[in-house]
Amino acid sequence: MSIGRAMLACSGAGGALAGLATAAIVRAPMGGLTAGGAAAGAFIGLLAGTAAAAPAAAVIGRGVERLRRSLLDGEGEDGPPDKLTRRLVGPLMGAIGEFRERTRAETRRATAGLRELEVRWRVSESERKRIESTLDSLRDAVIVTDNFDEMTMANEAAAALLGFDRGACERRPVGDLISDATLVRLIHQTRESGSLSGRKTVEYDLGGAPGGQPRSFDITMACLADHSGEGVGGVVTILRDVTREKEISQMKSDFVSQVSHELRTPLASINAYVEMLVDGEAKDESSRTEFYQIIKNEADRLGRLIDNMLNISRIEAGIIQVERTEVDFVEVAREVVEVMQPQARLKNITLLVRGGPSVYTAQACRDMMHQVILNLVSNAVKYTPEGGRVTVAVENDDASRSTLVTVSDTGLGIPPDALPNMFQKFYRIENYKRVAKGTGLGLNLVKHIVETVHGGQVGVQSTVGMGSKFWFTIPFEAGGRLAA
Amino acid sequence: MTQRRALVVDDEAHITHVVTLKLRNAGFEVLTAGDGEEAYEIACAHLPDIIVTDLQMPYMSGLELCEKLRQNPATADIPAILVTARGHALSQADLARTSIREVMSKPFSPREVLAKVHRLLGIEAPEAREGEAA
Repeated sequence: MSIGRAMLACSGAGGALAGLATAAIVRAPMGGLTAGGAAAGAFIGLLAGTAAAAPAAAVIGRGVERLRRSLLDGEGEDGPPDKLTRRLVGPLMGAIGEFRERTRAETRRATAGLRELEVRWRVSESERKRIESTLDSLRDAVIVTDNFDEMTMANEAAAALLGFDRGACERRPVGDLISDATLVRLIHQTRESGSLSGRKTVEYDLGGAPGGQPRSFDITMACLADHSGEGVGGVVTILRDVTREKEISQMKSDFVSQVSHELRTPLASINAYVEMLVDGEAKDESSRTEFYQIIKNEADRLGRLIDNMLNISRIEAGIIQVERTEVDFVEVAREVVEVMQPQARLKNITLLVRGGPSVYTAQACRDMMHQVILNLVSNAVKYTPEGGRVTVAVENDDASRSTLVTVSDTGLGIPPDALPNMFQKFYRIENYKRVAKGTGLGLNLVKHIVETVHGGQVGVQSTVGMGSKFWFTIPFEAGGRLAA
Repeated sequence: MTQRRALVVDDEAHITHVVTLKLRNAGFEVLTAGDGEEAYEIACAHLPDIIVTDLQMPYMSGLELCEKLRQNPATADIPAILVTARGHALSQADLARTSIREVMSKPFSPREVLAKVHRLLGIEAPEAREGEAA
């Protein structure tokens, strides 16, 4: 460019100026141009000092103009140059032409290099976006830090969990972004360890949302290799929320413990009374009969418990066979009342079935419906004092297109805080445990049969001292998870 | 020899009944309770020589009962046998705060209960040795 500007100045000036300008070009470090240029410069300088300077200057001026056009406008071939011009400017033009070609080649190479860099940058950028999208699709929080413990990458889960702005986190120290000092220290320690081979997993509770419960995390940390592949270039930290897994594990453990307790209790009675009989501790026939009866009752209790648990497990696993027929609920309720009559009579409790003149039927498994109504009526009789009343009412609920069965009693009623737990496995109201025996599984089985198997609903309303009302609905048409 | 007094505590009436019978047949005077609170009142009022209690009961568990008895100078030295249907073991730290000297799992043998009662009270009884041998 400096050459172009020099030539422009030259075209509008006198011969001396042209000589100076040419000498300036010659002094430029241009390899092959120097030898020819030196000769031309010396010659021009000579001409400038003679009387023939004026015509020579005109010739040079024309030559320079051709040169200018050739360089700037690409008009190189406008007729053959005259002899003097060829002699005076030819070498210069040749050198400049060569320079121009070289410059063009350099420019082409630089442009190609630039394009390649652009392509590489785009590939790298798209690779980065792909990694970011992949990381964002993870539920685990992922953060990547460099050798200075500065954030280089973080996914959305990490930003949401640790509460930093993802858009403004890059190249900022993790200590500024993450308030949990222990986590920051763990990242720092992992990097300091300098081990590329191992990974470290720790279990750690993080505060969670403000005011919320702390959540448990499995934190896995591994060092990333630097560009040499030998040193540590940063740390990748993955936080997996294991709160729910821990809760489920605790629930399973509690369930096993509860089942163990429920099974061992009747077994303990059976074992103890058998031993007493063997040891001759029952002194008379009446005591022996009492012991036999207790053993029989406890064995029955154990059998019921196992049946209930198996039925619930089968329903939960979805492996129960369901045979649906058109079930007449009034008929089933009457059968249940007949079964329960002896127990009700012992406490002088009246059992009633109420059903209107319409036909109350729905597609359901008849045996299961018998079990559901039996469990509800049996509970009602257990927790209703002497002289009370238990009523089974069957009606159509047109709004939900279901058959509605309600079992009401005049019993003890259920405290409000216990109501939400009534259908949970093994839930029993502490204060009522001595009123009657139970497995704590009867109502849970009712809920499973009605809701899971038949797609219906169960519920309870109760007031302490005023009795309880348990109800369930079965849709007219077959429904439920196990409908197929 | 004066008659020894035992307190049997369980919310399962059948269990209370069978342990009571075993101890009565062995010459003990037996008091019974259906939960921890009732048991604490009876223990304070009648100061039994030994307590046999269930772990899981309404109102107050067997563990809480024995912790409370340990804290009361009048009942602190009454040894207790804990019978549990829970699968898990109790920690030594929990037991150290209580008057519990022995832990038994359900199902249990009434013979073993009697043997442990005899041992804790330092009573030489042929039944106890037979029970242990069995």
